[in-house]
Amino acid sequence: MDLDKDLSLKLLEKMLLARKFEEEVYDLAKKGVVHGSVHLCIGEEATAVGTVLALDKDDYILPTHRGHGQALAKGADPKRFLAEIIAKETGLCKGRVGSMHAFDRENNNLGAQGILGAQFPISIGVSLAIKLKKLDSIVMCFFGDGTSNQGTFFESLNFADIWNLPIIFVCINNLYGMGTRYLDTCKVDVNKKAKIFSIMTETADGNDVEEIYLKTKKLVSRVKKEKRPALIECYTYRWLGHSAFDNRPYRPKEEVDKWKKMCPIKRHIEKLKKNNIKDKEINSVKDKIDKIIAEAERFALDSSYPIFDDSMEQ
Amino acid sequence: MREIMYSQALREAMSEEMRKDSNVLLIGEDVGKGYRGVFGVSTGMFEEFGESQIIDTPISENTILGTGIGTALMGMKPIVEMMFEDFIAVCFDGILNQAAKVKFMSGDQFNLNLVVRLPGGSGNGTGPHHSQCLESIFMSIPGLKIALPSNAYDAKGLLKTSINLGEPVLFFEHKKLYKTKSEVPEEEYSIPFGKGKIVKEGSDLTIVALSYMVNVAKESALELENKYGLDVEIIDPRTIVPLDINIIGDSVKKTSKLVTLEEGILRGGVGAEICSQINEKFFDYLDYPIKRIASKNMSVPMSPLLEKAMIPNKDSVINEIKEYLKL
Repeated sequence: MDLDKDLSLKLLEKMLLARKFEEEVYDLAKKGVVHGSVHLCIGEEATAVGTVLALDKDDYILPTHRGHGQALAKGADPKRFLAEIIAKETGLCKGRVGSMHAFDRENNNLGAQGILGAQFPISIGVSLAIKLKKLDSIVMCFFGDGTSNQGTFFESLNFADIWNLPIIFVCINNLYGMGTRYLDTCKVDVNKKAKIFSIMTETADGNDVEEIYLKTKKLVSRVKKEKRPALIECYTYRWLGHSAFDNRPYRPKEEVDKWKKMCPIKRHIEKLKKNNIKDKEINSVKDKIDKIIAEAERFALDSSYPIFDDSMEQ
Repeated sequence: MREIMYSQALREAMSEEMRKDSNVLLIGEDVGKGYRGVFGVSTGMFEEFGESQIIDTPISENTILGTGIGTALMGMKPIVEMMFEDFIAVCFDGILNQAAKVKFMSGDQFNLNLVVRLPGGSGNGTGPHHSQCLESIFMSIPGLKIALPSNAYDAKGLLKTSINLGEPVLFFEHKKLYKTKSEVPEEEYSIPFGKGKIVKEGSDLTIVALSYMVNVAKESALELENKYGLDVEIIDPRTIVPLDINIIGDSVKKTSKLVTLEEGILRGGVGAEICSQINEKFFDYLDYPIKRIASKNMSVPMSPLLEKAMIPNKDSVINEIKEYLKL
């Protein structure tokens, strides 16, 4: 099934936003403007955009430590997000926590995780609240392949199962947990772990944004209708290091090159062209994003740093 | 006035708040249909409030606490019961890195109305995994509030405040207090955090005691008065974060001698913090160095003689005070 043109362009726009935003962050990091580490999802944009765009505004997300793309797709203001990453008081969290831990209440982003696996138990509470309050929302809980080895993952699959919670676990399987291959840490596929609990599962080509979107959309409607949890595992690859300045000696060059050829943005643009969407329309999306990033950069650089005051003490 | 048990006072506090607001939840292992709380605190609550407010869980402390954090993020008012205080170690990440930090990390976008109830303390041979008093560990985590009520009246008033405080509260309940009774009015009331209480007035020596040790302080004071004519003042801070240091300081101005008494271990204990703050703010009023009385630096043994040797009791407290004052 092909998506309608507006939606296809929207998927492109959000993937480009994630890509350009992170290229900007990477540049700022190289210039020493970023105080602290950043974890970039370049190469994985389709997993964030295809899943989050299948949600409604009233749905919730808990992003990962590599969560810029997820937060932006949910609606985070690039200006305030970039300001947060470079520790400015106009940031989403007043410049206190930076790249890895952003909360964005306005867009139902309940906070990204610096502690891998901590998002699972919290997302159980969020989805229980949705159920008790009889809301028509769901929560999307993101995690990486490596994090599926935390005990909290199994606990939370069990809670979601016995309580029939409206939750979708999204595994971004980029083959590595930091520098260690998933295959060296576990012999069981992530989605098979969920199958033990009779949770609806799906797998997707993590570099095909349309496939992810359509499969997630179907899961979202099933979760809402059947009041049962689900999991989708998307196979993808991070082009850069675990953090910005990891020179990644643990990965063969051929592997990186192979995945770069499957760039999710390039693939999507090719598909758009095949569907007779004109270069002009694609370029106008690109121009729009360039403008957004330039504005975000100006806003973030011009903002002030937060100053300590006694009210911060707890 | 009527007298009720500490456990009933806790139950009344939770039930009153649950009747007012369906967002108030009790979450934990065996809190509902099974044991109704391993110490019977939630007896009858499942029958009254049902499974939309009384949430029985699997044995998974990480996710039990996470359920509290997540429901609180969504504006609910969860009360999480750890079956035993010791089990909080299983979900330490949720306490240290999540609950305590949400308000600061989110730039004040979120705050958590979260209470974690923690039945602790020893004296019944329950051994190293079911007997500890761990409050001092949590004192140094910014973002947590800590209450330790020593009687039914304070238990009810402080729990009602905790449920609506808007900040994560660790609520330490001593198991030996559950069946103790004190006067509790029929009408609703609450007790603010950071406000200590003078349990007994006196002029010769101040004892600051925590939780069950308030009872030990009372017994000791009676004997010290009868045998040695020592007029002891007893202070119960009731909450240690925030800590009402001024009520202790004002007492020291009167007595010029201070003893801290707690069931947690001596090293790095709550007494050490009180001692430091009094030294910083009220040093000029002290005639003696401050004396800390606490449990010995060891794991809680099951063996009754060892257990007795480890934890302060009336006799050991009197002996230490006699030595301290050269009586």
